[in-house]
Order: sequence, then structure tokens, then C-alpha cells
Amino acid sequence: MRFTLIKDLKKENTMAPLLVGMLVFFFLYLCADFVVKQYGFGLFESQIKITLFGNEEEFLEGMVQSAFLEYIHGEIFFTMMLLLTLCAVFVRVAQEQKYKLSVLNITMLSALLTPVFLFTAYFYNAAFLPAYIATFFIWHLFSLLMIIISLQRLLFAKSI
Amino acid sequence: MQKAYKVALFYYLLFSLLLLASSILLFDIKIGFSPQAVLEYYLGNEEKFIIAKTPAGILKLILPHILAYGLFIMVSMHFMIFTKYKNRAIVQLLLYTLFISGSVELFSPFLILMGLHTFALLKLISFVVFELSLLLLFGLLFKSIIYR
Repeated sequence: MRFTLIKDLKKENTMAPLLVGMLVFFFLYLCADFVVKQYGFGLFESQIKITLFGNEEEFLEGMVQSAFLEYIHGEIFFTMMLLLTLCAVFVRVAQEQKYKLSVLNITMLSALLTPVFLFTAYFYNAAFLPAYIATFFIWHLFSLLMIIISLQRLLFAKSI
Repeated sequence: MQKAYKVALFYYLLFSLLLLASSILLFDIKIGFSPQAVLEYYLGNEEKFIIAKTPAGILKLILPHILAYGLFIMVSMHFMIFTKYKNRAIVQLLLYTLFISGSVELFSPFLILMGLHTFALLKLISFVVFELSLLLLFGLLFKSIIYR
């Protein structure tokens, strides 16, 4: 996190391009995540229900507990590592922006609630699925927003 | 520490608690919290239809964890540099405990497969020590965010 201690990132030949590259990869990851979820897990309630609980009429089995926990375990880790790094960059480069704390809180809170709602939907009540879908979309879209703002500052601001 | 960084760290710690909770649930469901259950998981049990694990299979499972453990410990511990505990013995203790218990927990299955069944108990102990050390670390970081 050395970039948090550098006075002016625009004067650093290495750090700014490094951060731009990393943010581009994060952007691609988040976009790809929508596609992968659509095909592998489901983005909307009907498909997610089939993935988690199966479908008797179509002889589809739901996810077993251990497979579900492995899935959510991996999701939590990747999400927290991505968001911690993204937030550190965003806080650093978006210093003058007044709304940065609000954006941070919305993104992190929705990302935190996403696995909680999914866990609750799987183990207790599928009625939590719409909440999972809402928080999933919110944290992805706000993360993309944070990336775009950070890229704009890194590429076009005179000094950061 | 700037307020926004503290907020980001606060959420990171909450995520870490979720990660710990999911890991404990996974361990319980997949393996079990007894030396006998650990042995059966790795060596197999015909009566319970548990297939014995191979070294290649274990390596495939622990591969992402090798990276994840190193990264997770480094990221979590490096926040201690910004707290009042940075020069205290607790940081050194946590550092070595986390890396050593994490390594034992990851690689003890290979020794179990080699016939050293005592490592089943050691795997359990190292897992518990690893989780408790992380909880202590998170507690200290939470305290630093709230009271400093």
C-alpha cells in the first residue's frame, strides 16, 4: 500500500501505471463475474433457485452443503481482497471528493450483506434471494463506479 | 489513520470474520472436529463410503490456500504497523504463530498419508490455534480503529 504514502502519484513513473493496470484488471474481473454468474450460478431468482435447490421435474439436483460452503468461502475471500485494495486506491486518489465515504459505505455494506443473504436464503428461507440479488448488483455497480472515478483521476488529474 | 481508511479496514475485518465463520463450518462439515474424523477423511473409511485422499488430490485442494494464507496473513498483519502495538511482543508472537500454525495446518495431511497418524491431532490443534490467533489479531485491530 505504498501508494498511500506517496505525495504526488502523477510524478511517480511506476506507481500510477501499476494502479491503472490493476484497476483495468479489476474492471474486467467484475464484468466477467456477471457473465460467469449468469452461466454458472444464476443472476436472477428463478435460475439461482434451481442452482441452489434443484428442480424435481427436470431431475436437477441442488447444491450440497459442502459445495455451497466452498463456493461462498471462495467468494468472500476474493470479494474482500478486491474491495480492500480498490477502496485503498479510491480513498487515495479521490481525496477531494465529498461523496467518497458514502460510496465506500454503500459498496462495502452491500458486498458484506451479499454472502450473508445468500447463506440465509440457502439455509433458512429462499425469500432472501431478492435481497441477495439486489446487494450483488449494488456492490458490483458501485465498484465499477469507483474504478471509473479512480481511473479518471489517475489518467487525467494534474496532481493526486 | 484517515477516517476513510479506518472505514475500509472496519469492513475488511467484518469480511474476515465471515471468512473465518465459513472456514469453521466447512471444516466441521467436510472433515469433523475429532482426530478420528480427520483420519477417516484423509485415509478413507469403507463403511462410511469415504474415499482415501491422494497426495495429488490434497495438493489440488491446498494450492489456492497456500497463496491465500500467505496473502491473508500479510495483509491482515501489516495493519498492525499503524497501531500502538507495532513495537510490542504481541505482534511478533502473532506473526510467527500465524505462519507456523497455518503451515502445519496446510501440510499435515501429507504426513497423515505417510502413516504419521499423530498429525491428525496436530492438524486439529493447528487449525484451532490459527483461527484463535486470527481472532486475537482482529480484536486488536478493531480496538485500534475504535479507540485510537
